[in-house]
Amino acid sequence: MTAIAKVKSTQGRSPLTLAAKVFHWVNVGSLFIMIASGLQIYNANPVFGGRAGWHFPFVGLLGGWLAGGRHWHFAGMWLFSLNLLWYGVYILATRRWRHRYVGANDLKALQLSKNPKRRIYAWHRVVYTAIVPVLLLALLSGIGMYKPAQFDWIVNLFGDWFALRVVHFLTVPAVLIFTWVHSLLALKAGGDRLIQAMVPWPLSKS
Amino acid sequence: MSSDLPPPSTNLPEDEGLPRRSFLRFAGYTAFGWIATATGLTLLESPINTLFEPINQRVEAMIFNPQRLIPEFPLTAIEPDKLIVNSFRLTPILDPITFRLEITGAVANPVSLSLQEIQRFPKVSMVIRHVCVEGWAAIVQWGGVRLADLLQLAQLKPTARYVYFESADGYFGSWDLASATHPQTLLAYEKNGSPLPVENGAPLRLASPLKLGYKQSKWVTRIVITEDFLRAQNNQLMKGYWEDLGYEWYAGL
Repeated sequence: MTAIAKVKSTQGRSPLTLAAKVFHWVNVGSLFIMIASGLQIYNANPVFGGRAGWHFPFVGLLGGWLAGGRHWHFAGMWLFSLNLLWYGVYILATRRWRHRYVGANDLKALQLSKNPKRRIYAWHRVVYTAIVPVLLLALLSGIGMYKPAQFDWIVNLFGDWFALRVVHFLTVPAVLIFTWVHSLLALKAGGDRLIQAMVPWPLSKS
Repeated sequence: MSSDLPPPSTNLPEDEGLPRRSFLRFAGYTAFGWIATATGLTLLESPINTLFEPINQRVEAMIFNPQRLIPEFPLTAIEPDKLIVNSFRLTPILDPITFRLEITGAVANPVSLSLQEIQRFPKVSMVIRHVCVEGWAAIVQWGGVRLADLLQLAQLKPTARYVYFESADGYFGSWDLASATHPQTLLAYEKNGSPLPVENGAPLRLASPLKLGYKQSKWVTRIVITEDFLRAQNNQLMKGYWEDLGYEWYAGL
């Protein structure tokens, strides 16, 4: 809290609301649970190659065995989806969606701007906006795999069972690559100040 | 890689390499934190299930509509190579001539039926997706009798709540009554247009689009209707072979 107060005093106001921070870190935590337990489930029957296919090394997997992975996955799904839900309602209700995500001005800056800082900021907004549909896709494909009989239309939407599994799985590398690029761009676009505004503990040693 | 990194920020002039070093350090912490947290939380897989499975089960039962038929597939959609044979112990060979299916428990009219008697009930054919807990699925045609028809013959008592299936290999499982009496829950004696092969559960097995594969017992010889879950002599709940090891009981699709 003191870190946030410090940023507030130096900048007038925090660029990020508490709501955005809570969403961000709950999202990080729930994605960790979903990915680590999801890869444990993956190992029971790899999407690519079936039982003879390549398995993930057990280090870093969550659950220990298939049932354990499922238990964590189907507990974490509530954290993940309800966090997305309240945040979605929040940005719609407060009309933050209008200026918090990539817009025409960012796309224009990417084409025309000679200012490297403006361009990096535009890329930063492009990237963190792009993860939103990926998260929703993970949720949709996940519901389709969890309840394929009740939500048969979801499976049909993706084509068949294999396509559904591939899409659900590909959200994992998508999120991991996003995390890497997003962290770098956040550092470049906002520097220590942005990182400090998002991280609830003091980073700088000075 | 270093050219991608931002110039050192002005408020830390004494430490030019900080962004990259702190980034690598952060990556190291992340990897260590990931492994440590995953290992720690793995120890909690059973308590987390105790906490969340009742919620999940309530939601599963809520979205399950016993009146709704699950959409089926055309015969051309069958995937004969995708159905993997999973068995927990051995493959029992049952003589179809002497085979009897017993229905007992909370019923007014306990019955014991031969295969011939069972096959006199209206035959239902369905092409459905069989989904395994492991993640694979196969579109299969099953032919057989509605379990609901057999249960009607046995006349369930109003207090009936669970349906137990006992198999010739010692496997057992239990279902909620609403799923067991759904019109697409069959006792099948036919697979993909041919008599049911032994490794798939001949002479009689459960087949339904409503539940994961481990709920669909093969080589079913006895059906016991109960008013409550069964308990072992040490008072441990007996819900099913895999269920007692930790897998979900409801396992609805």
